[in-house]
Amino acid sequence: MVDDEKIVSEDMGVQVEKNENMEMRSFGTVKRWATKRSLWMVHYCTGCGGIELAPLMTSRYDMERFGMHPMVTPRQSDVLLITGYVNIKTLKRIIRTYEQMPDPKYVIAFGSCPINGGPYWDSYATINHLDKYIPIDLYIAGCMPRPQSIVRAFEDLMDMIQDGTADGYMRYKKYYEPYKANQEKIFRKWW
Amino acid sequence: MKEVDLFFGPQHPGITGNFSVRVKIDGDTVVKAQAIPGFLHRGFEKLMEMRHWMQGPPLICRICVPDADHSETGYSMAVERLAGIEVPERGKYIRALTLEMSRLSAYLFYFAGYGGSIGLYTIAQWAIGDRDYLLDLYEELTGARVYHIFNFPGGPRWDTPEGFEDRVDKVMDYLEKRLKEYDKLYFNNMVFLKRSQDVAVMKKSYAEKMEVTGPNARATGWAIDVRKDDPYAAYPDLDFELITQDEGDSYARVMQRRLEFQQSIDLVRQITKKLRSMPRGNVRLIPNALHWKIPRGEAYAAVESSKGELGYYVVSDGGISPYRMQVRGPSISHGVQVYEEMIVGQRLADVAALMFSLDVCPPDIDR
Amino acid sequence: MSEQEIAERIAKFPGADVEVLRKGQIAVKVPAEKGHDAAAYLKKMGFAHLVAVEYVDWIKENEFELVYNLFSYKMKMRAFLKVRIPRDKPEYITFMDLWPIAMTHEREAHEMMGIVFRKNPNLTPFILEDWKNLPPMRKDFDSRKYVKDKYDSIPFAEGGEQ
Ligand code: SF4
Repeated sequence: MVDDEKIVSEDMGVQVEKNENMEMRSFGTVKRWATKRSLWMVHYCTGCGGIELAPLMTSRYDMERFGMHPMVTPRQSDVLLITGYVNIKTLKRIIRTYEQMPDPKYVIAFGSCPINGGPYWDSYATINHLDKYIPIDLYIAGCMPRPQSIVRAFEDLMDMIQDGTADGYMRYKKYYEPYKANQEKIFRKWW
Repeated sequence: MKEVDLFFGPQHPGITGNFSVRVKIDGDTVVKAQAIPGFLHRGFEKLMEMRHWMQGPPLICRICVPDADHSETGYSMAVERLAGIEVPERGKYIRALTLEMSRLSAYLFYFAGYGGSIGLYTIAQWAIGDRDYLLDLYEELTGARVYHIFNFPGGPRWDTPEGFEDRVDKVMDYLEKRLKEYDKLYFNNMVFLKRSQDVAVMKKSYAEKMEVTGPNARATGWAIDVRKDDPYAAYPDLDFELITQDEGDSYARVMQRRLEFQQSIDLVRQITKKLRSMPRGNVRLIPNALHWKIPRGEAYAAVESSKGELGYYVVSDGGISPYRMQVRGPSISHGVQVYEEMIVGQRLADVAALMFSLDVCPPDIDR
Repeated sequence: MSEQEIAERIAKFPGADVEVLRKGQIAVKVPAEKGHDAAAYLKKMGFAHLVAVEYVDWIKENEFELVYNLFSYKMKMRAFLKVRIPRDKPEYITFMDLWPIAMTHEREAHEMMGIVFRKNPNLTPFILEDWKNLPPMRKDFDSRKYVKDKYDSIPFAEGGEQ
């Protein structure tokens, strides 16, 4: 873990005792501010929700006014938006994509399917709880959620990034073993 | 030269949804391709065996995402045929209205997708923006933007709100006006012409051999359409002629949709005109939703979705839920075998463009 | 031509049990060993298009039913060619020689129902990935139990309640 990531929920105004940390801390704040204003999103439509991304990216809801933009490769992106139900075959690719993304990275689960299975709760193909396999920062409930709620979610995500509570990628490192164990349990083989 | 194996998707912006193609390329010419579907598999056919008859449409509409109304209507029609019930006249017209609007919005999505895949992003912005007017109409009628859950066995859920027909006509006028601008920007655009003419030609005989349906088949000059061949809803009473093209290349496939877009606008106008002159109210027969038993037997019902023939084969054993339901998605022919064969010999840049031009809808292959 | 007339013409095929289901739909039952001949006969008659291959598990009778869904654009008529094969030995012959598209449909039936189509070269995994259980569309495969055992038993990685 990097130093500036340790200081969660403190901002520039707070007086700190040790002088040598001061620079680091204000740098962290500025960095988080910069991160939140240029979130790039992996262009991966995993489920039905992908269809609402099109209006979101075009003129009516216009995501770019928040500095957000779809990015074609995971290695240059910050946000992984899971747009809907995840079946086993896709989950493998999602984990692959997620692990390729550089820190800091954020995951938003979109729709009720990744939360608890939604209408496919008893389907043999879809996993019901996505948060058993990768950490999730934010959930958007609904089936399917409207573009406005995605915009709202991004606003919330920005606030969370600023105050440091969007810490999914740190949790992934901390609980790496259990996450990996869960993933191993449902995949017969990786590739 | 050395051949290279390339995974195209599933995480790739040039893929229609969550789908993958494994191509072998020599230079940048494709020599072999293998479509890998299954990323969107949910096991609808199994799930339906655990749901009541009336719980079908809320689940089934998710089979093809851009064209949800056709999915739910196909299922409803199969159940109606099995139970031997007939939808009231006004219900049929409302059903046809939602279907045609769904076709319009799916075609707009198609224009956007194909435009995006060849680098014309303005058309993508325009078409998706204009599609939202249709979604707003849907929202007024059904309460939802994408999944309307509106066409149930027995008829649509409710009647149109007061003055809805006028608002539909207004949007149709707008779309028609926009179509002229699309012509200037897109359908006569040099980039579009160069990238689509004589690319991936599908012969009529090939289309017949591989059971291609829908606009793709009509673009080869084969005049088939479930709306004419096995009429349903209000289509027998509507006045329209099948449009066909002869070339069968990507250009013809896009133009086919463009001409059918105009035709759908006309159809919607015919429907709204008729709806205005009809007495309101009686749109639906309501069976007892929870204990609705359907007599033993089997039935097949197909609808002409924006991608081709979407069919449902439903088997009942006399119980409260289907014994077996199977979906015939249109993309199962043109998305797997046909695509694999047609892409061979094309350039790498056309892998995505061909997928968009054939309008492959992965969720209806996977179900 | 009406359904009745077409049904009579189909009934000329030895062993065919023809039933008119409703307007535009005819069911044709034939014994399994005559399936391929019957399909060729129907194709010659005008049912030239294979729309889909449906498969039904009749577990009580211990049989699988394969339904070849044929359509004739000339007569505007659908014919369901049905054959039944034993559940213990789910094997049948491919119809690829009549309709090349049968390859994909049979590939799916092989994966979802576990039916082996002889002479079909492409019975590789199609939709599912490393699936080791019973084929999922079989009636004795219990999806809810599978979900319970496989997904619901996994604990949350960071602790917490189910
Ligand atoms: S929550 Fe609803 S819309 Fe979203 S993926 Fe699930 S079923 Fe589809």
